[in-house]
Amino acid sequence: MTLFKQPLKLTLVLAGVVLLLAVAVAAHGASASAAGLQNASAAQNLVSVELPPPNQDDCLHCHIGGENKNLWTPLARWTVFGTFGLAFVFGVYRSASVWTQRKAWKPLTTRAVEWVDERYELSPVLSKLAAKPVPRFAMKWWYCLGGITAFLFVVQGLTGIMLAFYYKPTAAEAYTSIQYIENEVRFGAAIRMIHHWAANGMIVMCLAHMLRVFIMGAYKKPRELNWVSGVLLLFLTLLFGFTGYLLPWDQRAYWATTVGTDIGGALPAIGNLILIFLRVGWDVSGATLGRFYGLHIIVTPILTLGFMLAHFLMIRKLGIARPL
Amino acid sequence: MTTTLPEEKKDSVPFYPDHFRTEFYVVVGIGVLALVIGGLGMFFPVGLQPPADPLDTPLHVKPEWYFLALYQMLKFVPSSILGMEGPMFAVVMMVVAVLAVVLWPFLDRKPDNKNAMRIRIVLSIVAVILAIALTIWGEVS
Repeated sequence: MTLFKQPLKLTLVLAGVVLLLAVAVAAHGASASAAGLQNASAAQNLVSVELPPPNQDDCLHCHIGGENKNLWTPLARWTVFGTFGLAFVFGVYRSASVWTQRKAWKPLTTRAVEWVDERYELSPVLSKLAAKPVPRFAMKWWYCLGGITAFLFVVQGLTGIMLAFYYKPTAAEAYTSIQYIENEVRFGAAIRMIHHWAANGMIVMCLAHMLRVFIMGAYKKPRELNWVSGVLLLFLTLLFGFTGYLLPWDQRAYWATTVGTDIGGALPAIGNLILIFLRVGWDVSGATLGRFYGLHIIVTPILTLGFMLAHFLMIRKLGIARPL
Repeated sequence: MTTTLPEEKKDSVPFYPDHFRTEFYVVVGIGVLALVIGGLGMFFPVGLQPPADPLDTPLHVKPEWYFLALYQMLKFVPSSILGMEGPMFAVVMMVVAVLAVVLWPFLDRKPDNKNAMRIRIVLSIVAVILAIALTIWGEVS
């Protein structure tokens, strides 16, 4: 630690930190005492009230309904004044460093990169990745269909997590929780719309990518397993669609799942087993909903990520197939 | 390998920054499209049908659009084929077709040529037209 060998610099840094802390404590004390005063006057007016009056209820859940007054204010305040404070401390440190060491200042990002690289030696790996040549024949638009599918998967992951915050996978609550997402949750309708259309887009892009690979013969030796993993990814995407379709628990979802699982049930020998596994019983019920929800948000994503990783590693290793 | 290196350098671009930039534009484009669709969703939400009711079967029960073509095909299956039940036979055929698609690279192992590619293009176009036609038929029926 060079800092401790340079008393002047250390003093300056410490002075900056103490100043910042003092400002923070003073600000906090001021707001706390103001709140205390308010509470005290409220307590004088209302003697035996157990619940706080609505105008003083912190209402941490109100941001869902849009009553988010004063929830962002502290964050904004801390961001603005905190940035000033950090800039001040940084300026003091930088000036002291240049002054005492008589050396040009090295940017913090460079220092951070050097710090990581010194320990983990990432830069040879990264530069090798970055320098990987991409053939010019692969600069056509039809080569990005698979990439779009992968990006749509990311979109589905993000919007799906957001929906999962509010969705309730029970027969009694699924429908109302979707209504809640559409009508009450801020931007809930937008998120559901994106999830809905990106799901359809993912299937379309998957099929388009598959057609491109099929037509160009890119599945031929040595890329057989690329094709196999890709087709399995298509099936996983269809499983995503099939399991996700039930979750709104409306008439369309219920009967689409009924006929869909019926097709699986028509298989010889294992038909009934498949039917029972998917429906958790002979009929589509709340248990089916739980099963599909688990498949949709845990099993299928994990399998998809695994196969995607394999798919990408194989592409990396073998390169893009040269067209005829 | 070393002999092909200059050749490879000449007709290729480095992944970063050249190809990365292209991919970045694609991602931004799709992202903006997603946001526009989301914005539309604020005014025209996906919506819901009436709540699920196991006792009330709608007149036209349909699966998702991407299964509609298969579903429509199932409707034309006679009730008995080769001593098997019709639907069971159709589903077995479907499983065979799926296996053929999965294992396609092991079935088509000849080195590629222009003629084979032409056949694949025709096959793809026919399959796509058939699938679209069956899907639309399933949607309106």
